[in-house]
Amino acid sequence: MADPYETLGVERTASQEEIRKAYRRLAKKLHPDLNPGNAAAEARFKEASSAYSLLSDAEKRRRFDAGEIDESGAEQQRQRYYRDYAGAGAGADDAYANPSGFADFAETDDILAELFRRQAEQARRAPGADLYFRLAIDFLDAVNGATRRLTLPQGGSIDVTIPPGVQDGQILRLRGKGAPSRGEGKPGDALVEISIRPHRHFTRDGDDIHLELPISLKEAVLGARVRVPTPSGSVVLTIPKGSNNGSVLRLKGKGARRRAGGQGDEFIRLKVVLPSGPEPELESFLAGWTPQRDDDPRRDMQP
Amino acid sequence: MIISKVEFLVRSDLDQQTLDVWLAEEWLMPRLAADEPQFSEADLARAQLIHELKRDLGVNDEGVGVILGLLDQVHGLRRALADVLRTSRAHPASDDEADRS
Repeated sequence: MADPYETLGVERTASQEEIRKAYRRLAKKLHPDLNPGNAAAEARFKEASSAYSLLSDAEKRRRFDAGEIDESGAEQQRQRYYRDYAGAGAGADDAYANPSGFADFAETDDILAELFRRQAEQARRAPGADLYFRLAIDFLDAVNGATRRLTLPQGGSIDVTIPPGVQDGQILRLRGKGAPSRGEGKPGDALVEISIRPHRHFTRDGDDIHLELPISLKEAVLGARVRVPTPSGSVVLTIPKGSNNGSVLRLKGKGARRRAGGQGDEFIRLKVVLPSGPEPELESFLAGWTPQRDDDPRRDMQP
Repeated sequence: MIISKVEFLVRSDLDQQTLDVWLAEEWLMPRLAADEPQFSEADLARAQLIHELKRDLGVNDEGVGVILGLLDQVHGLRRALADVLRTSRAHPASDDEADRS
């Protein structure tokens, strides 16, 4: 790297003010964003900036003059400039697009004018931006589908149709409900990210619904017909005789709608619950009872 | 890539008040979303440019607006010119007399 005094074109005895003025003069000429078509400007500008950041700091300048540090002690400038984003890669929804520099060339009838017209129209017809929203919905609304109102920040509201089976984190696209176009284009879309509130009893695993169902000792041993909740209402379920704790029963088609069509299932895990208070008859029966089977529930735990 | 307002304030070395002024002046025009503006890397680079115009080049507030407007026109021209060159290279016949104005 060259000597910073030389880079800025000042004497070694220059005052801080003179250094600042010299840098400004160079920066105005060399700044990459003021020379969008000049690739070489960036290197020269960086050199001037490094020189300036070294000499404008009184302490650093003193140390440099004393030979304690060299030019490479200067800070590095960032790498990207606005011109790197404003080029041909900029999208049609570029907010800063301005055809006022050439709109008059679009007036004539020939092929080149047509190109200018197209550029101007791209800016004018550019659609509005997409807007992003988050909507929290209830578990059952997600499973069964619903319509919910979303209030917009700019006033007004939109009704969002929740498709049955929508997943947590899914993004719904509502066409034309985004920001209006800056020119004469279509409005953008509203992108609504769905978050699903948990349910008291149900949990969801993909398209299947899971439920833990408490049953009494009597229902478990003797079997029973019990009412169980499902997302679409309650149904009567037959608990088989001798159902053990943790057994799982399946209700086909009582889950959430599948993306590809059809329904998931509801899985019911039985939880056998003892009576909530003392039952003297039960206790005295069990005290005298010898089961037919020699079950040891802790058999696998023997040392 | 979307940059949240919080991240943008840190990376662009701005405070909320200054950002509000720059947004009101339309020096920056990020997309709008439900809660807050959504910034892009281009917006970040533009904020850096505004800093440099004011701090390093000594441009006053009125000047910043004028410069950004002209700069946007320059970029518009560059894009239009690139388009024209691309098309005329692909279709050499259009190099014929085109200026009838």
